[in-house]
Amino acid sequence: MTVLRAAIGAEWIKLWTTRTVWWSLAAALVLMAAGAAQYALYAENGDLDATVLRDGRVPAGNVAVLALSFAQLAFVALAMLAMTSEYSTGTMRATLTWVPSRVKLLLAKSAVVAAVTFVAGAVAGIVGGLIAKPLLGDLGEAGGIPPTALRIGAYLALLGVFAVGLGAALRGPVVTLVVLLMLIVVLPPLLQVPDVAVLNGIADALPGVAGNHFLLGDSDPYAPGLGLLIVAVWAVGGFVLGCRELDRRDA
Amino acid sequence: MRTPAHLLRQFNGPCTGHDFRQYVRLPFGSGGGGTCGSTVRRMLITLDGLTKRFGATVAVDGLDLEVRPGRVTGFLGPNGAGKSTTLRMILGLDRPTSGRALLDGRPYSAYEFPLRKVGALLEAKGVHPGRTGRSHLRAMARSNAIPAVRVDEVLAQAGLTGVAAKRAGTWSLGMGQRLGIAGALLGDPPVLILDEPVNGLDPDGVRWIRGLMRELAGQGRTVLVSSHLLSEMQVTADHLIVIGNGRLLADAPLDRILAGHASLEDAYYALTEGSALR
Ligand SMILES: Nc1ncnc2c1ncn2[C@@H]1O[C@H](COP(=O)(O)OP(=O)(O)OP(=O)(O)O)[C@@H](O)[C@H]1O
Ligand SMILES: [Mg+2]
Repeated sequence: MTVLRAAIGAEWIKLWTTRTVWWSLAAALVLMAAGAAQYALYAENGDLDATVLRDGRVPAGNVAVLALSFAQLAFVALAMLAMTSEYSTGTMRATLTWVPSRVKLLLAKSAVVAAVTFVAGAVAGIVGGLIAKPLLGDLGEAGGIPPTALRIGAYLALLGVFAVGLGAALRGPVVTLVVLLMLIVVLPPLLQVPDVAVLNGIADALPGVAGNHFLLGDSDPYAPGLGLLIVAVWAVGGFVLGCRELDRRDA
Repeated sequence: MRTPAHLLRQFNGPCTGHDFRQYVRLPFGSGGGGTCGSTVRRMLITLDGLTKRFGATVAVDGLDLEVRPGRVTGFLGPNGAGKSTTLRMILGLDRPTSGRALLDGRPYSAYEFPLRKVGALLEAKGVHPGRTGRSHLRAMARSNAIPAVRVDEVLAQAGLTGVAAKRAGTWSLGMGQRLGIAGALLGDPPVLILDEPVNGLDPDGVRWIRGLMRELAGQGRTVLVSSHLLSEMQVTADHLIVIGNGRLLADAPLDRILAGHASLEDAYYALTEGSALR
C-alpha cells in the first residue's frame, strides 16, 4: 500500500510536469465548447436526431454528450500519452527501476489518469451544458447538466484506464492512437451503416457506442447502466492486457 | 525538512577530503546516522548462471560471479559483449533466459523501495525532455518515499543547481549524464550500478566521477561500473570483471590483471583477443 501510494505520488508529479497534459486539457475544453455550440445551433434549427430529445425538449447536458464525440479524443490522447511517452522518450526503463512491480506501476498510472479525466471530463460536461443552454433557446432544458457531467467524468475515467492499458501493451504512441481511433471513431459507423443485426450488436459492444448509450440514458438496445459496465469491461481488459505485456516483455 | 538536513550536513561533515561537492549523508536509510563509511549497509551482487538470449544471439552466457562491497568493480568488454544486458538483468529490466541476478539474495524487484538499495545510471538517459531536472528528481524521490530534501542535495552534488529548473531537452549530454548520476545517488543506496558514467562528461566531470566512485566504495558501498575508458578504469577500479561474447574472461583484482603488462590497455587486449566485435 505504501508502495502504491508512493508510485501514485510520482505519477501525479510526472503527469503535471510536462506540457502534454495542459495541451490535451486545453484542446478538450476548446473541442467541447465549439462542439456544444455547434450542436446546440443544429438542435435549435431542428436538425438533430431524436435520440437527444426528452419530451420534445433538449437537455443541455445531452448536447455536451454529442460534443464529447470530438472532445473525448483529447482525453484519450492525454491518457494514452501518459503511458506511451515513456517508451517514445526512453524513460520506461528508468520508471521501472523506480517501481519494479509492473502491476503497481500500471495501477498508479491508471489511477492518476482516471482521476484527471474524471474531474476534467466533468468540468468539460458542465462547460458544454452551460454553453448549449442559452443557444438552445426555448427548446433547451438545464436540469440534467450536473448528473450528465458526472456521467461524462465516469465514462472518460474508464476510457482513460483502457487507453493507458492499451498503451502499455502496444508501446508506440502512433499505433496505440490508431487502435483507439478505430475502436471509438471509425468502426462504429462502418458497422452500423449496413444495419445488419450482427454488426449492430458488435458496434453496441464497442466502448464509444456503449459509453454513448450510458451518457444519453438510452434504454435501447440495453439499459444505460449496462453501457457503463461494457466500458468498464474494456477498461479492465486493457489493464490486464497492459500488465501482461509489461510482465512478459523486456523493458 | 530543509533545516534538519542542513544541520545534518554540518554535523556529519564531508565524508572524505574530496575537494568539491561533498557527499552528504541522508537523514534516513541504510543503517542510521553516524559518520561515513562505517554505517553503510553492505550489499552483495550475485550472478548465478546468468544467461540472456535474444533470438539467436547469446548476449550473456552463464555468468557466475559476485560483486563485493567496499570497492570499485570495473566491468569491461568489447562493444556487444553483454555488459549493458547484464546490468539490465540485475535491475530487473530484462528477464534472464536462465540463471539469476540477486542483490543480497533477492531479486531487484523484491525490494519495495529499490532506489534506497540500488542507484543506477543506465545507457539511455531516462529523462523526459519536457520535464525539468528538478521535477524529474522530485518524481523519482516520491516514487520511493525519499525525503524531497534529497533532491536539492544531489542537484548540488552534481553541480546542477543552476540548471535544475530548465527542461532536460535543452541540456547538454554531460548535464544529462550528471542528472543521471544525481538520480543514482538520490536514495543513498548501498549499491551503485553505472553504465558508462563518464560518457560525455568534461574533464571536471570525469574527475568528479572518479572521486565520487572512490568515495562511495570507501564508504563500503558496492560500485559496479562499466566503461571503455581503460586508462580511467586503471586509476579508479580496485577489481575488474572482463567479459567477451557474454562469457566471463576475467574476474580479478586490478593488480593481478595488470601483472606482466605495461598498462590496462595491454592487459585488456590480451584478455579479449578474439572476442572483439568485427
Ligand atoms: N533488446 C535487444 N534485442 C536484441 N538484441 C539485443 C538487445 N539488447 C542487446 N542485444 C544484443 O546483445 C548483445 C550484447 O549487447 P549489450 O548492449 O549488452 O553489449 P555491451 O557490452 O553493453 O556493449 P557496448 O559496449 O557497445 O555498450 C549485442 O549483440 C546486442 O546486439
Ligand atoms: Mg552497453
